[in-house]
Amino acid sequence: MVREEVYRREGAEAIIVRPLDDIVLLYHRPSGQTHMVISPVPEILDAMADGLPASAAMLRDRLALLYDLGEGDVVGEIGQHLAYLDRIGLVRPA
Amino acid sequence: MRHSLTLRIGPATFRIGSAWALPIDQLKRLYADYPDVEGAIADFTVRLQPTSAIRRWVRPSIFITGDHGLADAAPMSLAHGLLAAEMGMNLQMALGWRRHLLLHASSVEKDGRVLVMTGESGSGKSTLAAQLGERGWRLMGDEFALLDLDSCAILPFPRLVSLKNKAIEVIAGEVPGARMGPLLGATAKGDIRHMVPRADAVARMGEGGMPALLLFPRFGSGPAERPVGQGEVFMRLTQASTNYVALGEPAFAALTRFVAQVPARAIDFPSGEAAIAMVDRVWSEIA
Repeated sequence: MVREEVYRREGAEAIIVRPLDDIVLLYHRPSGQTHMVISPVPEILDAMADGLPASAAMLRDRLALLYDLGEGDVVGEIGQHLAYLDRIGLVRPA
Repeated sequence: MRHSLTLRIGPATFRIGSAWALPIDQLKRLYADYPDVEGAIADFTVRLQPTSAIRRWVRPSIFITGDHGLADAAPMSLAHGLLAAEMGMNLQMALGWRRHLLLHASSVEKDGRVLVMTGESGSGKSTLAAQLGERGWRLMGDEFALLDLDSCAILPFPRLVSLKNKAIEVIAGEVPGARMGPLLGATAKGDIRHMVPRADAVARMGEGGMPALLLFPRFGSGPAERPVGQGEVFMRLTQASTNYVALGEPAFAALTRFVAQVPARAIDFPSGEAAIAMVDRVWSEIA
């Protein structure tokens, strides 16, 4: 059985979120870097705001309570976003 | 250094030293109406020095240096000494200023509200600002707009306006000769001539204003106008800032406020007159 990757966010205050009209800006305080992202990245980060470890499947379940996630490989898509967020330092493997 | 001058432009004070008299004499004439700050403590030093001892006399060749320098800055001829001094001051601001968010942009003011124009070199933002400055607007700067990190006001930096190539005759035709500097031919950027801002722009150089409109002018096509989304505005302004990264979180907070509050348009224009008409129209729409 393949172990599912689990990630967590740093404290909620580590990232400042500023929505503009067409994108969302994320300012990462520890690195001083600014990131420009679009949906579903802000929603995924928001679902991790408690700082506890979460897998793509767990996040899918949390997001499904708030949004209509539609058909397709939602868990795989969330997993790809988590891997990208890990590369830019906004989440870490737990 | 043998020849020197202390200048205040907006909030910044520069001490310019030179191995030769010519650039300092030219600066003294063009900056004659700026505040007398002789003896003031300077934020930056700019030095125009010979590339080698002999180059002070034989085919004089200037090396621009100061508190902040570029290792690969090309030496310039003494005939272009005024340009070297101006470039030196710009370089110090671009690399060293930390009190405000520095935007590579021109700005003009009317009724306490500021029009900010940003774009690549050659976009026409400098010429357009110079023309508006002769037509009822107060010129705040042709090169750098300073965004205050607390109030989000734009503060002036009304140095000499640097006119290039075709812009020279356009502006020289409507500005008295006493406000024009010498023609500097065949520089790395073509022909350059400096213009002294109007007296009111100099007298009010400590007075900022709230930004009301952001334009991305582009000379050479159109006329055409389009709104610019906030994401694109934010990206282009961070690219237009030399100190956004260095200032950290306060810069993020100030720039996001600016982007959220100030309407933005891109305008393409085929001539200066067309640009002025477009600016007047857009300004009246947002006023």
